[in-house]
Amino acid sequence: MNYDRPELLDKLASEYVLGTLRGRARRRFEQVLRAHPAARSTVHAWEDRLGRLASSVAPVKPPDRVWAAIEARLIPAPRAAVQAPSGWRAWIRPLAGFAFGAVFAIGLVVNDPGRFVSVDDVAQSRQALPQSYVGLLVNDAGDPTLLASSTRYGRRLTVKFLRPVDPAGKVIQLWALPREGAPFPVGVVKPAKPPASTTLDLADTSERLFSNVSRLAVSLEDAPAAGGALPSGPFVLAGNCVKLW
Amino acid sequence: MPDSASLQQDLSRVALGDRAAFQRVYRATSAHLFGVALRILNRRDLAEDALQEAFVNVWHNAGSYQAAASQPMTWLIAIVRNKALDHLRAAQRHVASSIDEESEDGTTVEIADERPNPMQLMVQATEGMRVRACMEKLDASHRQSLALAYYHGLSHSEVAEQMRAPLGSVKAWVRRGLERLKKCLESAE
Repeated sequence: MNYDRPELLDKLASEYVLGTLRGRARRRFEQVLRAHPAARSTVHAWEDRLGRLASSVAPVKPPDRVWAAIEARLIPAPRAAVQAPSGWRAWIRPLAGFAFGAVFAIGLVVNDPGRFVSVDDVAQSRQALPQSYVGLLVNDAGDPTLLASSTRYGRRLTVKFLRPVDPAGKVIQLWALPREGAPFPVGVVKPAKPPASTTLDLADTSERLFSNVSRLAVSLEDAPAAGGALPSGPFVLAGNCVKLW
Repeated sequence: MPDSASLQQDLSRVALGDRAAFQRVYRATSAHLFGVALRILNRRDLAEDALQEAFVNVWHNAGSYQAAASQPMTWLIAIVRNKALDHLRAAQRHVASSIDEESEDGTTVEIADERPNPMQLMVQATEGMRVRACMEKLDASHRQSLALAYYHGLSHSEVAEQMRAPLGSVKAWVRRGLERLKKCLESAE
């Protein structure tokens, strides 16, 4: 079937959202949706048109066991994890991630001693203060992509590219995710070829900006985000932000 | 309806694995979404499963939610409806037989369906909305087949059975109903 014909696409999308597209035709169309952004946006338009019909459906409080089941599936409790093998596997992943981060950080120190200098060096040169806030941002596949670092009282963030980032004609917007509250924009990362670094100027010292920030993330935006703005799309990169010293 | 801006913000945090935000999204939307699933499935156990799977999906795919493309509630409703439709097919339930059946003496009797009439739901949903005027412009048969398919998740043949109309006609009503609805909404924008 030729899914490029807009009127056919529109018909399939409308019946998919309405629910009358069934069986194998529905499965096939779901495959098309995964591959074609144009098909997805046609479906979004129909979800928008028909979604308002759902507003009159009377709410019914689901029983508490539904939330309990969701939590059990997604977030195994530590105690349950010890008992259940599947829980263990779920635990290994963050541990492995942490171990990787630690090895990575050590490797960084070994390979790039200029980044982490001794106290003596600091005393000699105030330009070479050790990086205090470090964030490792990974892509959807979990590959380390950006390493953001800054000195505690510095107003400049260094962003090292570990992998290329394709901004697709947009800007690479960096966000900080505080432990509580909404994400706030940090600045725009100038693209660079790995393993080059770029820098961006911060609105305040990193101590003031990042002391309550647990994660950093990147979204692609049409224009640099203003203060108070929220990401317009999904985060393409994200990772933990830690204070080293 | 939950506040759209805070839902949007919470979804962006769910994308980063924020459990507290995830729980806030659940608390704010689960009753409405459970209602939607229940209307389609008409069985609490299946609706609970559909809701559970929908939220597992939300946890894993919050990153793909595009704030610019749709309202958070629209996105969530689409996920829940898809899960409910999956369950409906899995259960291979002949909905038409449980909605209203003709008894032996030929009169129509209601059987085991406490769901509100889909036409009534459509009228309520569109109260004060532009889509209301567009729905009213549709032929009654178009409107009714859309309502049955949307609220009860009926397939073409189930709608045909329900409306006692030929399958070919129902397919045409659904298609034309959707086309005209789109055209009308676009001209009003």
